[in-house]
Amino acid sequence: MRTIPADIAERFEVGPLVSKRADLSTLDVDAKDVPELLARLRDRHGYRHLSFVTATDQIEEGVFVLTYMLHNHADNHSLGVKCRVGRENAVMESCHLLWEQMWTYQRELKELFGIDFPGSPRVDESFVLEGWIDIPPMRREFDTREYSERTFPTRPGRSTKDPATHMKEKLYPEAL
Amino acid sequence: MDVKDFIAPFAVWKRAFEKPFTVKKPIDERPGAPRYRGFHKNDADACVGCGSCEAICQNAAIDLVEVAGRSPSAGDSGLRPRIDYGRCCWCALCVDICPSGSLTMSNEYVWISSDPEDFRFVPGVDPKPWDSAELGYKRAEGYSLLDKERVEMPELPHAEGVASFRELVKGYSRELAEKEADRCVECGLCVASCPAHMDIPGYIRAVREGNIDEGLRLLYETNPFPEACGRVCTHVCEEACSIGVQGDPLAIRWLKRYIADQVELADYAKELPRKDAPTGKKVAVVGAGPGGLAAAYYLAMAGHEVRVLEAAPKAGGMLRYGIPEYRLPYEALDKDIAYIESLGVKVETSVAVGKDMDYAKLKREHDAVYVSTGLPAAYKLDVPGDDLSCVRDGVEVLARVTRGEDPKLGKKVAVVGGGNVAMDCARTARRLGAEVDILYRRREVDMPADVEEIVESKAEGVNIVVQAIPTGLKLGPDGSALVSWGRARMVDQGPGKRPLPELMPETVREVRYDTIVAAIGQGPDLSFIAADAADGLEVKRYKPVVDATGRTGDPKVWAGGDLVNEKKDAISAIADGHRAALAIDRALRKGA
Amino acid sequence: MFEGVKGFFPPPYDPKEPVDFGSGKFLKMWQGPQHPGITGNMSLELAIAGDTVYDCKTHVGYLHRGFEKLMERRLWMQNFPLVCRIAVPEPDFNEYCYAAAIEELAGVEVPEKAKWLRNLTLEMIRLASYLMWIGGQAGAFGHGTIIQWSATMRDYVLDLFEELSGGRIYHMYIIPGGVRSDLPEGWKAHALEVMDTIEKNLDDIELVMFHNAVFKLRAKGLGVIPKDWIDRYGITGPNARAAGFRRDLRKDQPYLVYDKLDFDYVTAEGSDAYDRAKVRLGEMYQAIDLIRQMLARMPSGGEFKTALPNPLHWKIPAGETYVKSECTRGEYGFYVVSDGSDKPRRVVVRGPSYTHAVSVMETLAKGQNIADVAGLMVSLHTYPPEIER
Ligand SMILES: Cc1cc2nc3c(=O)[nH]c(=O)nc-3n(C[C@H](O)[C@H](O)[C@H](O)COP(=O)(O)OP(=O)(O)OC[C@H]3O[C@@H](n4cnc5c(N)ncnc54)[C@H](O)[C@@H]3O)c2cc1C
Ligand code: SF4
Repeated sequence: MRTIPADIAERFEVGPLVSKRADLSTLDVDAKDVPELLARLRDRHGYRHLSFVTATDQIEEGVFVLTYMLHNHADNHSLGVKCRVGRENAVMESCHLLWEQMWTYQRELKELFGIDFPGSPRVDESFVLEGWIDIPPMRREFDTREYSERTFPTRPGRSTKDPATHMKEKLYPEAL
Repeated sequence: MDVKDFIAPFAVWKRAFEKPFTVKKPIDERPGAPRYRGFHKNDADACVGCGSCEAICQNAAIDLVEVAGRSPSAGDSGLRPRIDYGRCCWCALCVDICPSGSLTMSNEYVWISSDPEDFRFVPGVDPKPWDSAELGYKRAEGYSLLDKERVEMPELPHAEGVASFRELVKGYSRELAEKEADRCVECGLCVASCPAHMDIPGYIRAVREGNIDEGLRLLYETNPFPEACGRVCTHVCEEACSIGVQGDPLAIRWLKRYIADQVELADYAKELPRKDAPTGKKVAVVGAGPGGLAAAYYLAMAGHEVRVLEAAPKAGGMLRYGIPEYRLPYEALDKDIAYIESLGVKVETSVAVGKDMDYAKLKREHDAVYVSTGLPAAYKLDVPGDDLSCVRDGVEVLARVTRGEDPKLGKKVAVVGGGNVAMDCARTARRLGAEVDILYRRREVDMPADVEEIVESKAEGVNIVVQAIPTGLKLGPDGSALVSWGRARMVDQGPGKRPLPELMPETVREVRYDTIVAAIGQGPDLSFIAADAADGLEVKRYKPVVDATGRTGDPKVWAGGDLVNEKKDAISAIADGHRAALAIDRALRKGA
Repeated sequence: MFEGVKGFFPPPYDPKEPVDFGSGKFLKMWQGPQHPGITGNMSLELAIAGDTVYDCKTHVGYLHRGFEKLMERRLWMQNFPLVCRIAVPEPDFNEYCYAAAIEELAGVEVPEKAKWLRNLTLEMIRLASYLMWIGGQAGAFGHGTIIQWSATMRDYVLDLFEELSGGRIYHMYIIPGGVRSDLPEGWKAHALEVMDTIEKNLDDIELVMFHNAVFKLRAKGLGVIPKDWIDRYGITGPNARAAGFRRDLRKDQPYLVYDKLDFDYVTAEGSDAYDRAKVRLGEMYQAIDLIRQMLARMPSGGEFKTALPNPLHWKIPAGETYVKSECTRGEYGFYVVSDGSDKPRRVVVRGPSYTHAVSVMETLAKGQNIADVAGLMVSLHTYPPEIER
């Protein structure tokens, strides 16, 4: 059983350490503690490798869940540090000083989710969506189908029939 | 850096003398591998147009379209998948899911055309050069996306079942029901086959999603006898099930029963819709069988005042007095009926129209009449001696058992007939401790009874004698019956026709039985409609002539159920009742 | 006093010098997205003075298809044919990670045979992918012969895939629950034959490429990744192993049947383009060896797919997981979040190129000769689609 290291439990208000597998756990933390916590995990607890950073839109709760996936090579354990930031004017403290690839993730999150990381290098440069004018597309409310129907012409000649409806029309149209 | 690093690269020259990897032009045919996921093929005759391919295709490449020369029929929508190769990615999920196994792929991958429209085609219908390709992707042996096996229904073991009238089928638990419901692909081919056109995919979805209230509501949209039908329905819908093409069809009937079983009667009113405001119109229903009561239910829902007249002491018709308790326990039937009655439907029992109540008066006192009196008159065996007291009619025997009387069948019983009534009689007799032979004129495959009934009867120890024709009956010295019967040979009647049994007189012999039960069918009895009260109601071959809504020649009178339809099962009677109720409602509202 | 012809000789590289296009000293040059020396559809925006690169910015987005978003709209099973497209040359890692992630969330056990078959395809695609890479690496230094050999060898592997799965590029073979079929008749023998052919070819490649003065001169010392960068930049795979790190998920956190196979880390110390290439060459031989081991030891027959719920209604219990595997370029992972419905709430694809092609490349490019940019880029072995999923 893994436990939360004492120095971390002391300093931060952290949620339970949830074990997903022998080699994977997650830890819920407060967004404001993230930079310092990540630094501590990196420097004192062997979680030196950053696998990725991402966001999950929990639109129903009005938050983005940010996940920082760290890895400890010494004991082959991954730890997902998760925090929640409000969806409205979403802002998160930048951690670009901790890992060299961090700014890319932050830039991506800004573009695709609309989460700002003030001070993060090139955070406002477009990442994959040059010229994009719609809402950040990874937000749940962005409807890809609606967007593509609005943006691209549909090729004519497609139509389909529902078997049950078709059978009703042909076999027993009198029924209500 | 050493000398080798300058010399080694020249080794490439040795290749100059080797056979090149490349293939010389013109390139010969290079067929795709035997499993190649190439262009689609569809065996259009085996395809049932269920649209599972369309549902699984994540590229939305498939449409179901009408094709020339195919119209819908039972278990086949007549539609066929058309694939848009502008979207397809040849993932073959459509092949993997195809319930009929008709959709496959060829190993062909070259197709050149300057017309983009060409690449939208109906495999198996629009002829293609690869239609006859033998190779190409097919589902591997042992691989399937759908579960072909029905979730087994817990049942009483035969030895225990035959010892009492306890219900045999125990019903699904929630876990089993949801697992069974998960097998459904929601194609809806079954809906057309159901006489009542119930929203089968809808209520199966409700089971799957644990949404029982919604399920009950969907059931009552078209059928106010879910407990009864969930047990004894002839389930023709299951024959149309696309999963049934290569596997066991969905247990549609059991799932219906599952829904009804989950809800207490006291909670029905909460979940089901309320009835409309009273219209002030009065409708009489003759016969409280499923047909009559279904009509009563929908009429009451429409706000009409409904009065049901029933000759028997209790409502339910053949569901109560015919079908034995081990298949349909009385509590289940009572639950269905109680809900209908709770809507204010008045069922007056032990009132036979024509005897205790005048038909003409009934018509006068009501704005409309629905007649669903079923088939109360049993056919006779039509052999010498068929009026002996040891010859009993099947429905009468079953009714006695229902009433709690001992039908006194004795130790050795012969049941004549091959339908479900014969099976019910035989299995009832087994439960009463008799040794039972079924005598049937034709072959087992010709038996009109459901296969499962035949199987169960045998498992319960009923001896089925086929190609056996009774020729006469005599009273034996001890009061028992001596039945003469002989073997029949089947005489071919030409292609497409059923062979006819022909008695082989030399085989006739006499066998002793305590009782002979005749279960060869029942007929209607319309004697209560006096000629002077017919008012245009026309009877042909003992049946009232009706239009598509069930209306007779008498504009005030509708009729349906066993009395009228050819299917002679509960769900058809219910569908008739529903249809007539809607027509009556329309007529009354128009008149109002 | 003669000051020379101004600007005729490029000024010496000064990393501190700010790039000011107004000065007239710098030229902006795009390498890609249409460029033979670029890996896939991406581009490098270079600021050069003379032959020297002063600044490099990686641009992606040329083939953004929004996979992660699309997956949120599709049923769990419907995503299975979609994920393979995230890395064209190695689709199978996507298939494996996606399947393994949802199997873990759904609590599905995969039959033993399926594990062997999955593992087999992962090593086959490793070999195929490296064969494509090595052609690119040689080509980037002007050595066009290698690609002609290696592309053929790769095609032989694709033939095997075609026979096994029905597809050459997108195999769609690893399906949640197992795989789609067992080995076809006669396949093993064919596979062993192909392995022999490729092995012989690799010997030739090794001779003419790795003992080649041109390749040595240009690749040695090119793009040295210092040891302390590995964790700072999140570098994994051969790029880390060439810097001496004994890290390989197949050994560190064995999945499928890797713990039953006999192999070791392939490492080097130089951490330059040459050593990275050597590590990859070593892993090609290793893949052949592993394939042989698996073919010899794989159980014959047996179930290869677990029965799953109806794909049209399959709901995966709410939860999240991160599943990874060692692809040719390092840590390849799928982070999957389910909200308990019939579609994923979030699928995140973690590909090694995310850092290798952006942060690492942008930093390593500075100060390079423009002619070496292509070779450097290929030596990091990057695939843009996994950056811009
Ligand atoms: C033994 C047996 C087993 C069966 N098994 C199945 C089965 O498994 N599945 C299935 O779907 N179907 C089965 N059926 C058929 C099914 O019971 C009938 O199709 C169905 O009951 C028909 O309904 P109905 O309303 O038309 O007529 P009935 O159910 O026959 O009801 C007619 C009612 O009208 C009453 N009545 C008749 N004349 C008068 C009058 N003059 N005045 C007042 N009331 C009158 C009768 O007493 C009766 O209650 C079975 C039938 C029998 C006999
Ligand atoms: S092969 Fe795949 S993409 Fe093509 S029609 Fe079938 S399911 Fe759709």
